[in-house]
Amino acid sequence: MRALFSIAWHSAWNRRFTLALTVFSIALSTFLLLGVERIRTELRENFASSVSGTDLIVGARTGSTQLLLYSVFRIGAATNNISWKSVQALAAHQGVDWVVPLSLGDSHRGFAVLATSPEYFTRFRYGDRQLLKLREGKPFSELFDAVVGAEVADKLGYHVGRKITLAHGSGELNTAEHADKPFTVVGVLARTGTPVDRTVHIGLEAMEAIHLEWVGGAPMPGVKIPAEQVRKFDLTPKNVTAALVGLKNRSAVFGVQRWISTYTGEPLMAILPGVALDELWSVIGIGENALLLMSALVALVSLAGLVSVVMAGLNERRRELAVLRAVGAGLRHVLALLALEGAMVTVLGVAFGVVMAVLGIALLSPWLQSQFGLTLSLSEPTLNEWLLMGSLLVAGWLASLLPGIRAYRLSLADGLSPRI
Amino acid sequence: MSTAPQGEASPLRVVLAVEALRFAWPGMKAPCIDIEAFRITAGESVFLHGPSGCGKSTLLSLLAGVLVADEGRVTLLGHDWSQLSGAARDRCRVAHVGYIFQQFNLLPYLSVLDNVLLPCRFSRRRASQAARSGSPREEAEHLLDQMGLDRNLWKRQAMQLSVGQQQRVAAARALIGQPEVVIADEPTSALDEDRREAFLDVLLTACAVNHSALVFVSHDQRIAQRFARHVLLPEINRAASAAMAVDA
Amino acid sequence: MRIAKKTSTLRAFSRLSMLLAGAGLAAAAWAAEPAPKDTTASNPLGGKAAPPATAKAAPGQPRQITWEELVPKDWDPAKEFKGMDLAALNDGDPRANELLMKMQEVSNNAPTNPAMNGADIKIPGFIVPLEEAKGEVTEFLLVPYFGACIHTPPPPANQILHVVTPKGAKFRAMDTVWVTGKLQTLRNDSMMGVSGYHVNATSVTKYAGGAK
Repeated sequence: MRALFSIAWHSAWNRRFTLALTVFSIALSTFLLLGVERIRTELRENFASSVSGTDLIVGARTGSTQLLLYSVFRIGAATNNISWKSVQALAAHQGVDWVVPLSLGDSHRGFAVLATSPEYFTRFRYGDRQLLKLREGKPFSELFDAVVGAEVADKLGYHVGRKITLAHGSGELNTAEHADKPFTVVGVLARTGTPVDRTVHIGLEAMEAIHLEWVGGAPMPGVKIPAEQVRKFDLTPKNVTAALVGLKNRSAVFGVQRWISTYTGEPLMAILPGVALDELWSVIGIGENALLLMSALVALVSLAGLVSVVMAGLNERRRELAVLRAVGAGLRHVLALLALEGAMVTVLGVAFGVVMAVLGIALLSPWLQSQFGLTLSLSEPTLNEWLLMGSLLVAGWLASLLPGIRAYRLSLADGLSPRI
Repeated sequence: MSTAPQGEASPLRVVLAVEALRFAWPGMKAPCIDIEAFRITAGESVFLHGPSGCGKSTLLSLLAGVLVADEGRVTLLGHDWSQLSGAARDRCRVAHVGYIFQQFNLLPYLSVLDNVLLPCRFSRRRASQAARSGSPREEAEHLLDQMGLDRNLWKRQAMQLSVGQQQRVAAARALIGQPEVVIADEPTSALDEDRREAFLDVLLTACAVNHSALVFVSHDQRIAQRFARHVLLPEINRAASAAMAVDA
Repeated sequence: MRIAKKTSTLRAFSRLSMLLAGAGLAAAAWAAEPAPKDTTASNPLGGKAAPPATAKAAPGQPRQITWEELVPKDWDPAKEFKGMDLAALNDGDPRANELLMKMQEVSNNAPTNPAMNGADIKIPGFIVPLEEAKGEVTEFLLVPYFGACIHTPPPPANQILHVVTPKGAKFRAMDTVWVTGKLQTLRNDSMMGVSGYHVNATSVTKYAGGAK
């Protein structure tokens, strides 16, 4: 066998320019397959780790996926708010342990602004039941205090003490600014790998304060209430976007959910984050499967390329095969030679593909993190990834049996004197 | 693999024997080979000639067990080719037969030395025969010396050599491990006059030293006199004229 | 996720009777029979007949139980509604709604069976995930019937198991599984405060119909 290996290697090296392209295409399809698979699993992990320890999320009656998306992932917007009275009724329910209201809608230089209660810092969990940690400063206590997420601080260079202005609505173009009521950064959160990093947190009263002279999304003309005077007004929020709820007894979640959905005060809905996530994923799953299918097709194409390149070259190699037959190679050796060559090309291609994938992840990780909040880790391959690599290798080997069989037949017919 | 007794090579030991051989190419009605009897003894050098199309190459293939007779027997050292499986024939062939083509004898991407060693890679018998006085590698180098090939060329890739040099390497490869039979199918047809004579010198000398039978096919009469035995194929092949008519 | 289809109109009467049926299932002691193929309220898991739970298990082995065993034998939620003529109520009658609310309360405060505390059990059910890490569910609720979170009335409190599994299991919402572990009952206060069953699961495996 060592002899065959050496011959196969030298023969392939002799034709390295044609084969190099095939190796590259196999490498590319490996890179694609591994990349899609890794992004797929990491994306789900990212989403799943964005909220933890929360039994229910309550919001206006929209759709469960929509509620999950805007309340946790800051994707999309709420169609309606829920009234403060409902939140209070919720907090008063016997089965409820804690409620953290959330109010969204404003933005700061492209980052979302979240108004919430101080309990956010003691109740909100992410990942594996982890609490938020501050890497600088403290949670907000004064009216115009703000706590920023790690990505906001890193990208904009904020530290404790910095003064910032918020803008009305979400978006980068700050036409409607709350410039007369600036905030001070009092805390910077440690990185979580969740949408928290890209959020500016303020108190619920502060959200009310900056909208005092606003009606229906626009400032009232001629009315200006300076920052020092806002405390004279009642700053209890009238409504919020959503609320995170923790129960005294997790098993009671269905009962409370039923209570919320039949609440007579206003149309409300409550979702279980885990279940809503699975629903979201069943939709995304379709896209994921499409991506995987496409990558598999790319792999198929590159393997087909390998087969056709080797097949096309077989005619020129009939002399080579005849020489081998003359020095004692049997027909099975000829078959083995071609199969070995194809296997070597596939192995090289897959190896290069893995290297490309590792490099790709290492290089793209920081950019993906800052742009999309997606954390891609360079951990060892998952079972699925091993399976993908393994099936590529097996498929490559099987594919190279095709030229092997053709070579076998040619050699059989030619004997020692090929007619070329 | 060979059960034929070795001992001192008796000059009368038959290495190749043909009896009542008939062979037709698949799809052809008339046979192209029809030979009653043909024998080659150990150490004999046979010049096999005839006009184009009389079946020289076909006969060589039959002798080497590449093609299998439709009727009759072809035996190598007592082994009947038709009794052996394909793989067994390959093993038997490499163990006892050295083959030289007209051209393109070598694997172009291997070195000269690796090319010469090829039969030893595929046959343990050839390898052990070659190692009788040292290692197969030393035997290969010795043969290349005999062929008059410069030492500097040994590590070069085969495709970098001239045709004449390549033919000499082919001869060395055919001779390594002392096969009982060397079959040469028009090995000098691509060489010019000087090279041809030089090649014949080394080949015939080496075969004599190894006591290998040599079956040399050529249509060039000028080199015939260097051979002990001449065989005009149409004389023993009754189907020759018929085959020629078909090929024409 | 496939949610069991239900009629879109929530008729008070049908919900009432479903609650009663659910409670009746829990409260009645009935001999285990081979269950019909499809999923119904009385055979939540459908498929091949689940084997009857053995009264005694080998010592040291978890005992396979049924959901009925989780209900104390003396609990009869329907007794408060005896004598009421449900057929006389129209849909939309405010008394029907009140009745519904009351039933729901009774269901939410269903007591646990103290005899089951500390038992090593094995039980099949449907998963409602609560916590997830690295694609694996680490904490979930196990319920006796499919779709028990949105369209159907929730199961009574003694038909919900709060399961914690240290190893993590790769399942999605409404997957059917076997849960093996030690059952604990929490204090019997309720008003949805503290009550219910807790299981520290040693294994969570896919349900394949029939005995495992």
